[in-house]
Amino acid sequence: MELLPKPAGKTLFFLFVSFGIAMSLWAQDSLRVDSMILSNRSGLENILQGSIAGLRVKSWSGTAGAQSTLNVRGISLDPTDQSTMPLILINGVPMVASPSNVTGINPLTYFSPEQIERIDVIKDIDRLAAYGVQAPNGALNIIMKEGQPGSIHVRGSAYAGVNFLQNMDYRRDAFYNFNTMGRRAVYGDGGMVHDQALIVDGAGSYGSYLFGLSNHQDKGIIRGSGFGRQSLFLNAKYNITDRLSAHFYNNMALASRNGRYEGEYSRDLTLPVVGDEAFFMDKNRNIGLVSSMALAYIAGHGITIRSVAGLSYEGASRDVYIPSNLLDGDIYASSAAYKRQLITWNTSANYLHEFSDALQMDMTLGNEFRNTDDRLTSVNGQRSMENGGSDFVKVVTGYNASQTIALSNHNTEKLLSFYGTWKFKYKKDLDVNMVVRADGSSLYDQKWAWYPALGIHYDLKNSLNIPVKLNAGIGKTGVLSRPEVYRGQLDGYGDYYGGNYLGVGQLYPAFSGAKSISVTQIDAGVTVALGSVLNLSVDYFNRTYRDFTYQRYLSNISGIDYKYETGGTLGLSGVEVTIDGAWIQSTHFSWTSNLNIAFYHNKIKELPDNIETTSLAHLGSLSGAAVTSLVAWEGSQAKTIGNSEPKAFGGFTNTLRYRNISAAFTLTYAWGSDIAAESFNSRYDAESVNYQFPLKNAETPYYLINQDADGRSVYQGIRTIEDGSFVRLSRAAVSWHLNSVSKKVELSDLEIFVRGDNLLTLSRYSGINPEENITGSRRYDLMYTGTPLPASVALGIKVVF
Amino acid sequence: MTHWMKHWKFISLLAIVLLCSCRKSLTVEQENSTVEEGYYQSAPRIQQSVIGGYVDLRRALLANYAWMMYGEARAGDLKVAVAFQQQVASQQLTATDQNLVQLSDWGYFYDVIKDANDVLDIVEQAEEGVLSTYQYNVYRGEALALKSMAYFYLARIWGPVPSAERNNFGAQLTSEEVVAQSIVWATEAQRLLPWLLLNDDGIESTALTAVRFNKTAVTSLLAQEHLWLGNGQSAYDVLTNTFTSSTADSLSGFGLAIGEDRRTEIPEAPLSAGILSMPLATFNAIYPEGDARRAGMFNISGNSATLIVQDASKVDLLPVREINLLFAEAAWRSQRFDEAKEWLIKAANGATEDYSALTEETFGDALLLERQRIMVGTGQRMFDLIRFGEVPSYISAFTEADVTKGAAYWPLSASSIKDNGWSQNAYWAIP
Repeated sequence: MELLPKPAGKTLFFLFVSFGIAMSLWAQDSLRVDSMILSNRSGLENILQGSIAGLRVKSWSGTAGAQSTLNVRGISLDPTDQSTMPLILINGVPMVASPSNVTGINPLTYFSPEQIERIDVIKDIDRLAAYGVQAPNGALNIIMKEGQPGSIHVRGSAYAGVNFLQNMDYRRDAFYNFNTMGRRAVYGDGGMVHDQALIVDGAGSYGSYLFGLSNHQDKGIIRGSGFGRQSLFLNAKYNITDRLSAHFYNNMALASRNGRYEGEYSRDLTLPVVGDEAFFMDKNRNIGLVSSMALAYIAGHGITIRSVAGLSYEGASRDVYIPSNLLDGDIYASSAAYKRQLITWNTSANYLHEFSDALQMDMTLGNEFRNTDDRLTSVNGQRSMENGGSDFVKVVTGYNASQTIALSNHNTEKLLSFYGTWKFKYKKDLDVNMVVRADGSSLYDQKWAWYPALGIHYDLKNSLNIPVKLNAGIGKTGVLSRPEVYRGQLDGYGDYYGGNYLGVGQLYPAFSGAKSISVTQIDAGVTVALGSVLNLSVDYFNRTYRDFTYQRYLSNISGIDYKYETGGTLGLSGVEVTIDGAWIQSTHFSWTSNLNIAFYHNKIKELPDNIETTSLAHLGSLSGAAVTSLVAWEGSQAKTIGNSEPKAFGGFTNTLRYRNISAAFTLTYAWGSDIAAESFNSRYDAESVNYQFPLKNAETPYYLINQDADGRSVYQGIRTIEDGSFVRLSRAAVSWHLNSVSKKVELSDLEIFVRGDNLLTLSRYSGINPEENITGSRRYDLMYTGTPLPASVALGIKVVF
Repeated sequence: MTHWMKHWKFISLLAIVLLCSCRKSLTVEQENSTVEEGYYQSAPRIQQSVIGGYVDLRRALLANYAWMMYGEARAGDLKVAVAFQQQVASQQLTATDQNLVQLSDWGYFYDVIKDANDVLDIVEQAEEGVLSTYQYNVYRGEALALKSMAYFYLARIWGPVPSAERNNFGAQLTSEEVVAQSIVWATEAQRLLPWLLLNDDGIESTALTAVRFNKTAVTSLLAQEHLWLGNGQSAYDVLTNTFTSSTADSLSGFGLAIGEDRRTEIPEAPLSAGILSMPLATFNAIYPEGDARRAGMFNISGNSATLIVQDASKVDLLPVREINLLFAEAAWRSQRFDEAKEWLIKAANGATEDYSALTEETFGDALLLERQRIMVGTGQRMFDLIRFGEVPSYISAFTEADVTKGAAYWPLSASSIKDNGWSQNAYWAIP
């Protein structure tokens, strides 16, 4: 049966080539990068800040090359883990995107924004379920630019600018009163940031090509530190025959980050005030490779077969040397290498069918293989200077074995998935999306989990002539629970009989009930268009997370310390509002705005029984309350003293254009979050204060109970609880297209621009950056607190030949 | 489409087959962890699980010098060169000292019991041909002996303790029930274990036998357990049926081999020079001038006598030298007084006392004294005082009434009585 005429088949082929890899799901929100305000900072996440309702990009650190935390409707029981990060796809292919634990370099710096066509934000369940456990917390699909029709185009862009700390008040610095003088000497305005990118592209009947290179350097505001990245990239499509085409994508990046002692390290290091840290060394080097190859074949009868192999690799290495003047006579050196690789292979068949002129179906059946392989190797050692030597010897030789700690860790994981998506379209009115995905994971005894979803989208304009679109969806997805525990674990206890025998025993028993965390999501939304001027959309979602894996501590007659169990229920719901206004659209002048705001609420709905004997005991007092609550003790009562998450957050962008001049700015804001700052002074050994927390003037009566390395209880006082609300002028840019000049010199386009980042922050927070604490708590050792966030201003140029 | 539709059943079936066949490919062997599944499939690996039990027993008895703290250090005979020993000697066992808290935690002994029960399962489930009959008997015997010994320590240190057996996990057992159960396991172990163990080359090894349970050691253990319950006749029967003139060359003690523990808090050299000593006055009181054993057992320096460690590579728990004392006690307790005297005289070779003149009334004190002298360093002293009912006589901090309340036992740490219905005994519950 001839279902489609041949020209239609070709049209479809190009449609696929243009839009899809594997699962050609359309995105909920799509951001065209060329029309966005870019950032002088290196991570791609910075250009997304404030752009999409519900996408939270938290600029917690000013260290160049660090990743801002990214969250799309994600939550977990642990505020410090990375499981809430959305899945990052490059042309639909997953990549290793979280910063490595060794170097902290952000993999989203491997790309220049100039390479990117658009970024699709996927958060509705009827689109998300197709990614299964890979994307429990949304997905960002970064679609790279392709060659444009024509034999050759050359596009160059460059900018250069400076970082500065406005109103840097060392008393507001998180490190205040800790090596203050050293830090004052280290922080400084004027660290250069500069960037260059060159792209060559073209397209014809053979396909298209695009290749280029880029360089980004950012010296930040800490002297002697800095970040750099160079990349080479290629994006090429080749039409092998009318029916068969291939797509190659490759991005190779070298990234480096030099750290510095003062200003970047925790207060845990004991030190004298550092006079000269010239011989301190913290070299971080990453190599990041993202590569994919896709083949598409039009089999006829509406069927297209695609196969995409993806490879994401990151080699991260760190070399540290701390001279003896920092370590009271000892020198320390360490070297660590962390290699992460992700191999994916996705094969799918797509079938288009018209039941009638009114009803069409777009079906995709496919499978996906995903193999993760991470290996960490590190060596570190410390030795005294008693045998001579000097600070000038950076390479420490002659460790003896007892002074050296070596570690090698290797983790592999496999995921095998089968999926099907069905999209039914009835006239222009109704879209129905159905998804079924089965994910088989190497982490569990019961390998398979099923993720179905259903979404309905109804446009009232066609039938009722009302400019309103309604949508609703329900479905399931999941979060992988690590580590692998279903086969139990044995442990080497010790050597026996002159070291001839190894004693082995059970560390924990097999846990056959291991499974992924299930996430049920309900979506509902309405979009109202008021003429061509205003577009208002309101989306509601409700997510329920069930079956977290936790440890159950066993009584000490059990012979093992704990076993694993699953349980607990967590809820996250929210309303996201977006208003897009195109207030003025004339030949010479235009003004558009985007205002987005998200109101989120999370709640612990259920906790395991006897919570105090589990690894979730710290949540014991939070049943029915927000998991992001800040909890502390007052006397002998545990109390909720705040919430680290804001009640609402969002962004406001305005873009104005007058003739050839454009101006745009983005404000980001959040309100209702609390920040608890631990005291640097009221910290007591519980026993020494007879288990009574001593109250201190000018500090709160609240305290935390921690365990020190020896298992002793420590009372940590909380100095202040502050409001973390803020409004920030995140990005602003003015650009001028020099049309007359470009015509004279026969350029396609010539643009100069001035751009600023983090230009102004209004907040009542007493520190420098209201977002500087990842967990909402500023710990006494500043473990989860970032360095001050600099502002930057750059002048740049873009040329298209 | 219609073409496809014809085969929908086939496609569904294929999908199911595909999903099922993926199981193997979705199993990953991790390099940095060892899973239990499929591990114990060779004799050396099964032996590793047996050794795990010894390592846990070593943790139980060496952490904070526990074997001394539960024994001679608490009784005031020996001093251990650590600060908290003074609190132990003065019976301040509930002081807020981390070391004392650890000593009042019974967890390590239950670790041994778990290991032993795991070994019993592993050897039963081992595939045919993996273990030889010798290996099966030895590993099972060692597991039973380790379990018996761990429970016996628990009963002697804390009195009533919970069961960690599958059939009555958590059940509160009296001290007598615990020891009666231990006797059952030790009896079977005694039947299974050889006099001398074979090393990996299949050759009998005295060095290996000295740090693993063997027939001599488990017989001593069994005799101790019978005597603890007052069954002198049973002890006597076990000893006389096992030790004959023909077995004299095969005897071996049992001690814990010193080695590296993954838990760094476990001392790796508990018998380092000078660690165990007693004041000269105490030494002279226990070993009077003229006792031929003085010079061989202690070095005298200034006002202190330091225990001579013959072999610092193991901590003796059930030495061969105890056998004669056990015979003496078993014979005495089973109304064989003359024989008991003979065994005591044989055991106490080198003593200044003339034990041939002992009467039934004075025998007990003499035996207790010789056990104190001969067994010094093995951690038995406090248990001897309890068994002989002599705690108030030797520990001035306790009255008879205190002992009745449970003073001779150790208090329990908070983690040992948490959420399991246990409470501190009547003596240690006093605030």
